[in-house]
Amino acid sequence: MKTRDVFAYSFSAIKLRKLRAGLTTLGVVIGIAAIVALLSITQGLQIAITRQLQTGFATDTLIVSTGGGFGGAFGQGALGGATSSGFTLVVNDTEIINNITDVDTSTAIIQRTGQIKSGTIVQDVTIVGVDFAEYQNIYSSTFVPENGGSIPSNPENDRVVIGSRINDPQENGTSLFTVNSTVDIIWLNATGFPIVRNETYIGNVTAILPEIGGFGVGGPSDYSIYIPISQAQSFFGTDECNVIVVKLTDDEEATIDSVSAATKETFKNQVSVTSAVAVLNTLSSVFSIIQLFLAGIAAISLLVAGIGIMNIMIVSLMERTREIGILKALGTKSRTVLLIFLNESAIIGLIGAVIGIATGWGLANVVALAFRGGGLFMGNQAVASAGMTITPVLTATVLLGALGFGVGVSVIFALYPAWRASKLKPVEALRYE
Amino acid sequence: MTTIVEATSLKKTYMLGKIPVEALRGVNLKIESDDFLAILGPSGSGKSTLLNLIGALDKPTGGKLSIEGIDLSSLNDNQLADIRRRIGFVFQFFNLIPRFTARANVELAMSIADVSRAERRKQAEELLETVGLKGRMGHKPAELSGGEQQRVAIARALANNPRFLLMDEPTGNIDSKTANEIMHLVKRLNEEKGVTIIMVTHDQQLARETKRTVQMFDGVIAKEIVN
Repeated sequence: MKTRDVFAYSFSAIKLRKLRAGLTTLGVVIGIAAIVALLSITQGLQIAITRQLQTGFATDTLIVSTGGGFGGAFGQGALGGATSSGFTLVVNDTEIINNITDVDTSTAIIQRTGQIKSGTIVQDVTIVGVDFAEYQNIYSSTFVPENGGSIPSNPENDRVVIGSRINDPQENGTSLFTVNSTVDIIWLNATGFPIVRNETYIGNVTAILPEIGGFGVGGPSDYSIYIPISQAQSFFGTDECNVIVVKLTDDEEATIDSVSAATKETFKNQVSVTSAVAVLNTLSSVFSIIQLFLAGIAAISLLVAGIGIMNIMIVSLMERTREIGILKALGTKSRTVLLIFLNESAIIGLIGAVIGIATGWGLANVVALAFRGGGLFMGNQAVASAGMTITPVLTATVLLGALGFGVGVSVIFALYPAWRASKLKPVEALRYE
Repeated sequence: MTTIVEATSLKKTYMLGKIPVEALRGVNLKIESDDFLAILGPSGSGKSTLLNLIGALDKPTGGKLSIEGIDLSSLNDNQLADIRRRIGFVFQFFNLIPRFTARANVELAMSIADVSRAERRKQAEELLETVGLKGRMGHKPAELSGGEQQRVAIARALANNPRFLLMDEPTGNIDSKTANEIMHLVKRLNEEKGVTIIMVTHDQQLARETKRTVQMFDGVIAKEIVN
């Protein structure tokens, strides 16, 4: 029998039992849709998060902190304080770091959560003390003034630089501040006694940063207000810094590794060193695991569908025993009978996979829309209001993989029934009632 | 005249559970081209078993069977399938594929033999016309009478220009008037088209219409009559 005729024959058999074939196909559709939806949404999420991180990153920087790498590095809160052994990083440690080979420069960051007040509006912010000149040197593309302000190298103590979202919290184009506006900076001192004591001083806006996006890993953030480091030292009454950002001479992996090792050695392994590249790599491997895990769960549903196919094929084989007898009496070879049955299953798998991919893709887009609407995954204000949108991504690998997996599972589970059909003896098959 | 089928001490033993059943106990038979042979015998005499062996649907357990000089015992399953393409089967219960039209049923036999689509269609229409079903080609078996279904089966059996037709009680499941018509058609095929026919029946009257009759009893040929 020619391939085309085998296909036509298989198709006529499927068409005969539409409901049954439809339900069997539905099993495949669900499995494939789940795989495609989960993978395209997580890939979209990964790309979105990576892009967010990259915006706030400089790849030629390292972040030295005393906390566990990430906590200190993300630096949104006031992590990175004393370790259990009492080790702390102080502002002057930059001088030690600057002596390490391949280090271009480094700068300390002191940060606390606090509030700012402008008129009647009070905002929760991160107050970040930095050396304006060094910080701008390291983040030359993001720590820059917008709309006429300037970032002085030797600022007076009351000078502040504010992130774009502090200026425009509603993200609707309005500005709360202009250059030379004053701002009340309030630090909620919860570290000493009495437990809460507000400390206040009036700052003078010298620059407003452009919108950066991202999480600002060590780098400038839309949600921070920047004050001169000397002011932070006196304001917070400490020399301890949360992190030290190190600028390298280049962003080669060897440089990153050697400076990381040297820094750790210098501080007797009391610090953790995080590179932007390493964070991205870690993130990417975390996402790989998540994807594998999700795809695995979805694959289970496809296996269930496979068992459904096997069941249906065995029933079909029994119902069509006589038909197989006729085919064999007319001179059909066993191999052709095998092909006819495998083909039926492959057709079901193919139709199921195609519909499943379309369904999964649709589902992923619906989820992405919901996410855009209300921050479905992370209630985190930073993520949701950072305007992060997820665009589901359907890679060729996922597309072809889903197609292959759908057809593959269908064919594999049809192997046994098809083999049994092909082994039927013509005389016995013809006698079958 | 050439010898088409030759059976020498042909034996077939079935295992019915653990009990061996000797269905054929040494059959000697020679069938030449243009022959019209009836195999008569009561139930259990081994006539259907003999037909299945000649049709390469089953393998003998002893003796020798050759079709057109080819010893069937030397063939594997694939080669037996090839032999079957050159044999036309007509069954008592028609054995048509219910979801196919009359024409598609006839075409199926040719599609198995790798005949091209256009050729298939043309031949199927000719064959159905030969068996008198010109106007019923697009009907499915359920829409055809028993006699018409058997005509479709005969057309299908003739599809690949078979060396001979094997008919297993071809009129066993249809009324006597239609049975006569079928017999008339079969006789015509034998006389006019020179198709060799081997027919199993237990109907004495039908057997008389053939050229030659062998009577089977208890797994052997008991008697041979030339009509």
